[in-house]
Amino acid sequence: MKRFVNLGLIALLALPATTLATTPEEAALQQLQQQIEKLSAELEALSKKVEASKGTGEQPTAAAQPTPDEFKELEKRLDKVERHATLDRIEFSGDLRGRVHSLHYQDVTFNPGVQVDFDRFGADAMSGAFGSPADPNSPLAQMMAANPGLASMFANGQLQGIGPFPFLAMPKTYNINNDILYNSRLRLNMKAKVWDNVKFSGRLNMYKNWGDSTGVKVFDSWNSFTMDGTSSSSTSGDGLHVDRAYFDWSNIGGSGVYLSIGRRPSTYGPPTEFRENEMRGGTPTGNVMNLNFDGITIGRSLEDWTGIEGMVARFCYGQGFESEWGNGELFNNLEKLKDTHFAGFNFDLYNDGSNFLQATIFTAQDINDGFKGLIAFPTEYGAFFAPTLYNDMQKFPNFNFVTRVQPSTTIGDMNLAGLVFSREEENGLKWFTSAGWTQLRPNGKAGMFGGMGSDAIFQAQLNSTGTEIMMVPVSADDDKNRNGYGVYVGMQVPAPMGKFGLEYNYGSKYWTPFTQGQDDPVDSKLATRGHVGEAYYIVEINPRMFLKMSGIYYDYEYSGSGSPVGKPKKIDDIEKGNAYSMLPVIDTAYDLNASLTVQF
Amino acid sequence: MQRIVKAVAICALLAFMAGTSLAADGGNPRKGKHLYKKSCKDCHSADGAGGELTPMSKTQAQWDRFFDKNQHDQQAWEKLSEKDLKDIQQFLYDHAADSPQPQTCG
Repeated sequence: MKRFVNLGLIALLALPATTLATTPEEAALQQLQQQIEKLSAELEALSKKVEASKGTGEQPTAAAQPTPDEFKELEKRLDKVERHATLDRIEFSGDLRGRVHSLHYQDVTFNPGVQVDFDRFGADAMSGAFGSPADPNSPLAQMMAANPGLASMFANGQLQGIGPFPFLAMPKTYNINNDILYNSRLRLNMKAKVWDNVKFSGRLNMYKNWGDSTGVKVFDSWNSFTMDGTSSSSTSGDGLHVDRAYFDWSNIGGSGVYLSIGRRPSTYGPPTEFRENEMRGGTPTGNVMNLNFDGITIGRSLEDWTGIEGMVARFCYGQGFESEWGNGELFNNLEKLKDTHFAGFNFDLYNDGSNFLQATIFTAQDINDGFKGLIAFPTEYGAFFAPTLYNDMQKFPNFNFVTRVQPSTTIGDMNLAGLVFSREEENGLKWFTSAGWTQLRPNGKAGMFGGMGSDAIFQAQLNSTGTEIMMVPVSADDDKNRNGYGVYVGMQVPAPMGKFGLEYNYGSKYWTPFTQGQDDPVDSKLATRGHVGEAYYIVEINPRMFLKMSGIYYDYEYSGSGSPVGKPKKIDDIEKGNAYSMLPVIDTAYDLNASLTVQF
Repeated sequence: MQRIVKAVAICALLAFMAGTSLAADGGNPRKGKHLYKKSCKDCHSADGAGGELTPMSKTQAQWDRFFDKNQHDQQAWEKLSEKDLKDIQQFLYDHAADSPQPQTCG
């Protein structure tokens, strides 16, 4: 195996030595160019001869003149190329990245539990709403039989008020070492000129793990969720996803205003382009927004008004969730959901090619407790919430049914803002600094995984047939506004054969940016509630190929990174069993990776 | 883990052994941008005598050929030194139609 891997790497890296292939069209154009140059030289020589022959009475020889047949042939071939160029309306370019990771997680802890209204449960039980405890077939007796420890504590008066109901006797803590994880990312960029002031841009994206084309992962974190905003940045099989597709209608009516509609260039925004080793990859500030969405931008360069180089103002609007189309049960009878809309401003305050200053501020209204998406159902959840289902699922321990999920209720609004400054020094040093602010504005409602920045309070209720007690989320335990902040700094210096870079970012307890579209497998590093450090070395093999070796270290302080749903809890408290999380939490992790990217 | 370290080491070694090449080299694109604005834009704007010209007007190879063959009216280039021209060429090359472009709307 070792020899095989080594041979494979050698073969892979031997490729850069070869030159880029030339397309047939380029070859034909080159040939034509050479012929034109040859004819030009001949014409020039002829002109000189004519000039020299003036006054001498000599007639220039006809040998140097191109013959009519040569002109005819050239014209014919030029027509062919012109025809091809005219009909070839879409320009394609792209890149392919092969990457190998070694992923290591320390102290991953699973300690699920929910907050339960025990007073209400006691009142309902005493009133006989759940049947008689003496009747072994009653829902109450069945529940007590299934949870003898809980029944005993409840009978002894130890469970009162609103308190935690743990699903496990004690937290499960373990390490994970995934020594080798390969993935490939293919991006095909498209451009087309529609009219003088109208152009189309698009990008098709495939991002897959090697040996996996299912497109669906077991739901063990929000990062695993295959949804609209991350469909092209989460490894999702061998299908091509539309990462972006929009048109720009520029200088409308001579006003300088442009209108852009479609799936937005809202990923890989500044300053994340440095670690990606590419030009600016998207419009908004990457520290607060790195997520696919569909929307509209209206903008205008203000350079002519203000005299400030590169100044552009944009108003952006988009929709992150559609509630009334294809949702709910029959005929949309789930009424708790609303459409999620974004709106805000993005300003390139200064951009002279070396210095770049940008501000982004926006609001997201009516955020729900999740998105539409596909998951492979984790069997463990059957044990907690659906014992009947779990009875059969145990017989198929390696089967996970794939299901479409949707949010259950609208949980509040969010405000976000980001500022970034980057600079390229004369000596090639590049550096950047970025700060972000997020505000959670919960409405007091909650779904199964919680409310906005808050936990759900569950109540015991009978199912529709009155045969089983279910735990149902009824409200959030908190509706206070919560502010979070994040900082992101980095530098890149010229190094032998390429560049060396260092980056650091920190996110506070309630830091909740929309950066889930970052394609790092552990998680979006910029969404981390905690500390992240990264060091990388980029080797420029040729102008269109580079090798990147990187190490990323994550140190999580609070749970729930990357999601507005649920109350953030100290990782240490979850490990000690003093706090609960419905999804496993990571304490620390590191990702050693190497990638080879070819641009074409 | 040991295998990964070895694989990364091999990658690094081979990458360092591989040759590098740069197509247009030696000019300062930032100075070139400044010179282009100062010396070229007067004629090469929408209403200018030379017609509108931007870096995107040609491909990288076309810009190289244009400068290598001195295809511009020499009188207009008299004030520019060889170094200035190299800087302008580098700027135009770096932002040519087939060069990587910022991916933003508008």
